[in-house]
Amino acid sequence: MIEITNLTKRFTGNRGGTVHALSEVDLTIADNEFVTVLGPSGCGKTTLLRALAGLTGWDEGDILVDGEPVRSPGPERAMVFQNFALLPWASVLDNVAFGLELRGEARGRRHATARELIGLVGLDGFEDRLPGELSGGMQQRVGLARALAVQPRVLLMDEPFGALDEQTRRILQQELLTIWERRRLTVVFITHSIEEAVLLGDRVVLMSPRPGRIAETVPVDIPRPRSFDLHGLGRTEEFTTLTTHLWERLRSMHPDTHPDTHPDRAGARR
Amino acid sequence: MTTAGPAPRSRPPGRIRRLLGTDLPYQMLTLLVVAALWEGYARTHESILLPTFTETAAATVTLLGEGELWRAAWLSNQALVLGFLIAVALGVPAGLLLGRFSAIERYTDVYLSILLVTPMAGIIPLLVMSVGFGLASRVILVALFSVVMAVTNARAGIRQIDASLIEMSRTFGASEAQIWRRVLIPGAMPAIMTGVRLALGRAVTGMVIVELLMVSVGYGGLILTYRSHFDAPALYAVVVIVLSEAVLLISAARWIERKMTPWATSHHSPRSTA
Ligand SMILES: Nc1ncnc2c1ncn2[C@@H]1O[C@H](COP(=O)(O)OP(=O)(O)O)[C@@H](O)[C@H]1O
Ligand SMILES: [Mg+2]
Repeated sequence: MIEITNLTKRFTGNRGGTVHALSEVDLTIADNEFVTVLGPSGCGKTTLLRALAGLTGWDEGDILVDGEPVRSPGPERAMVFQNFALLPWASVLDNVAFGLELRGEARGRRHATARELIGLVGLDGFEDRLPGELSGGMQQRVGLARALAVQPRVLLMDEPFGALDEQTRRILQQELLTIWERRRLTVVFITHSIEEAVLLGDRVVLMSPRPGRIAETVPVDIPRPRSFDLHGLGRTEEFTTLTTHLWERLRSMHPDTHPDTHPDRAGARR
Repeated sequence: MTTAGPAPRSRPPGRIRRLLGTDLPYQMLTLLVVAALWEGYARTHESILLPTFTETAAATVTLLGEGELWRAAWLSNQALVLGFLIAVALGVPAGLLLGRFSAIERYTDVYLSILLVTPMAGIIPLLVMSVGFGLASRVILVALFSVVMAVTNARAGIRQIDASLIEMSRTFGASEAQIWRRVLIPGAMPAIMTGVRLALGRAVTGMVIVELLMVSVGYGGLILTYRSHFDAPALYAVVVIVLSEAVLLISAARWIERKMTPWATSHHSPRSTA
């Protein structure tokens, strides 16, 4: 279980101004839950995930993972990056085995594990390729396999499919769900796509900017395994209602929304 | 030697095609054109100071057969090798540290700039005064000449490493030592090797300059001797030999660079992406 309480983080800008990246964020995530975090850019999604990963500190509040306070990166958490973050000089096999290598696992054992995961993400036969020889979708499969190789209980994903084309993204979303349903895993998945948030999540955590905080948490009661046929799931009433609602909320947060039609700001401005 | 190779008839075209794929034939062509122009110019403007291409070529062959040249080469190359190795051994680690810990930069940047822009010839008298005319002052000068390339390229190599690779390593619990071994050094390797190659070029320059200007031994000493004898073909022959050595060394460095960093995009890799 992940317990985030009262998490607050401020950045001091170059010109001395303060950016409230996170303000009093409370969020509890159950074991094996798939939570998607949705929000406009700059609302603190990445900051929240980096705090969870132990890559950055914060000013107030606590993060507990299975009761243990998070202070640094830990073996029970693994991250998947938007830009893949693969070592360009290392083969697919060595990239997937990288986490295990850092943990001092012997070559034979870590390569065996890596081969298994390469199979899981459908990259059999590509073990000796360099990342530069792979398409974006294949590179992110490597990123996913590398994260899974260390057998994390929590998978942290920061817009992992954001750099991919629509078709590839669809396929990877489906495969991610299949893997998640087979392995017992908690997933925190950041996205700025409404459809993606609803398609994947048990719950959509909607964040709003300035200061970054949780605006709303929306449960997604669409049964699993979910169909990715847009003419099926995409047309169900449940899906349409959720996406419409989220869209309304996001639209109202957008700085370009006209003040008169802006539900949050219309009163505050006066 | 009884096993048959590939069909003999298909061999020559394959070889020629492969050769045409390299830069070599085109470089040879340029060389021929330059040689022809040189020959023509020298023949029409007869001068004791300008030998023809053929005279130079003949003098080069003669010189290669003489012990004098090989003694000079031995002397010069001692300073070259030692100075270059010192420059790389000190410069690369210094550059890597500067790249990783930019806080140090503040203290050192000005000295690097000085090293980069100072006309090194100007410090030769200083060096000779403090260290003498021996091997030491030639080695130090060669090192001073080439160290800047090693430092600045290694530093740039670290700087251009994608920060997310370091972050990624940290999420997997990498220690600083592991980050160095697994991310920073491999990531900076293409730039390090470029720096080594450029440092080699500067080392050759430094070697010749110090010999010409102050400590007249080695190749530089030969050049000065032949100049005083007005033996232009031999003088040009020394220059040709020094240039050939430099080209050979730098080609070797470039070859090693490619072998060590096949993933780098700065030089086209022969790997297909099929
Ligand atoms: N290292 C930093 N220094 C200063 N400000 C930062 C830094 N990282 C993020 N911020 C600011 O914090 C806010 C939240 O950023 P981020 O978490 O990256 O948002 P998101 O991922 O939702 O787009 C933004 O306003 C951003 O400018
Ligand atoms: Mg972000």
